[in-house]
Amino acid sequence: MNTLVDIEEMIARTGLRDRSAFSDLYDATSGKLFGVCLRVLNNRSEAEEVLQEVYIRIWHKADSYAVTGHSPMTWLITVARNLAIDRLRRRTAPTRDIETVFDLADDQPGPEDAAIASSQRAQLNACLGELEPESADAVKRAYLWGDTYKDLAARHGVPLNTMRTWLRRSLQKLRECLTR
Amino acid sequence: MTTTDIPDGDDALAGEYVLHLLDLGEREQFEERLRDEVSLRDLVYQWEAHFAAMSDEIDAVTPPVAVKNAILAKIAPPQKKSPGLRGWLIGLTVAAAIAVLAVGTLLRGPEELTPSFQAEMSTPEGTVFLVAEVIPATHEIVIDRVLGEAPEGRVLQLWLIAEGADAPVSLGLLQPEGETRIRVPDDIAPGVRTGTIAISDEPPGGSPTGQPTGQVLATGTFVDL
Repeated sequence: MNTLVDIEEMIARTGLRDRSAFSDLYDATSGKLFGVCLRVLNNRSEAEEVLQEVYIRIWHKADSYAVTGHSPMTWLITVARNLAIDRLRRRTAPTRDIETVFDLADDQPGPEDAAIASSQRAQLNACLGELEPESADAVKRAYLWGDTYKDLAARHGVPLNTMRTWLRRSLQKLRECLTR
Repeated sequence: MTTTDIPDGDDALAGEYVLHLLDLGEREQFEERLRDEVSLRDLVYQWEAHFAAMSDEIDAVTPPVAVKNAILAKIAPPQKKSPGLRGWLIGLTVAAAIAVLAVGTLLRGPEELTPSFQAEMSTPEGTVFLVAEVIPATHEIVIDRVLGEAPEGRVLQLWLIAEGADAPVSLGLLQPEGETRIRVPDDIAPGVRTGTIAISDEPPGGSPTGQPTGQVLATGTFVDL
């Protein structure tokens, strides 16, 4: 069982080019990050490729982790999501396959499952709850699935500009709530 | 839903950036600003932290072992690209004294001394990971230990099981850490490319029997580079 402190220590030692710490970090966190890549890409081989990029990035950037002030899992998840969405945006044609990601989930919850502080989760959920349900859904779609404004506009059946105005206003509201 | 009252503050803009909703031009502009504006960077970090809470609903999925191996291979310490170069330079230095040797080395040229095939050896759990590269011109195997070490009081020994052979042949012991270079005897060398190499743990000094006596930790086969 790895605690957040353990993971933070692994990142710190990875920053010092400690391969064995990096290997431990991979073992402790790759399940979650692979899950993140699969969610965004919904394609196993692409997710595997991106997962490689993610850990290479982590290897090279571990020393800059502290600058962000993030909790370790937030930082790792952010790296994974950013690279997965970069890959998603580079696709020339949609290649989403039908394979459903949910069937692949591990039965055993990983050590990182409770990695994001529950207070943080509760706060976000409460603030998303203050938005109109469609707005909260749009924010979630954009974050978890990497939806674009175009995707969201189609999903909600509104013009692109309307979608954008609507979402920006939702973000503004969300921000006000989160900093309250 | 109306289109009036468009908020154009940085709060929402940073949120859009973190969600990857900006188009390419907007994204580049934003990143330009990020380089100089600390407060904007803070906004980005805050959004990243808030949004990351959403990932809690994503289940962990164990990736295939091959992914970890590929990553470890990529972060392996850089092999001296032409390991023969050092020898080549030494050759130059001693050229005056040992002209024949120096000429021989010079004639070969560094490009022939680069590895042309490679094998990765790892344990199923990924606790030991080695990369072996072969330089055919010199019959050398260069083994780089990326990860893992011999059990306490043991040494690691490298073996070749030639294609069709019934028993492994010892190629030598690995250095306690870092890179090991082993020159393969000329009669065995041709079988390396198609054979299997393996690492076992053995008592200090190596296997007393000429065959692996300890646990075979990892095996690998070669692919062309």
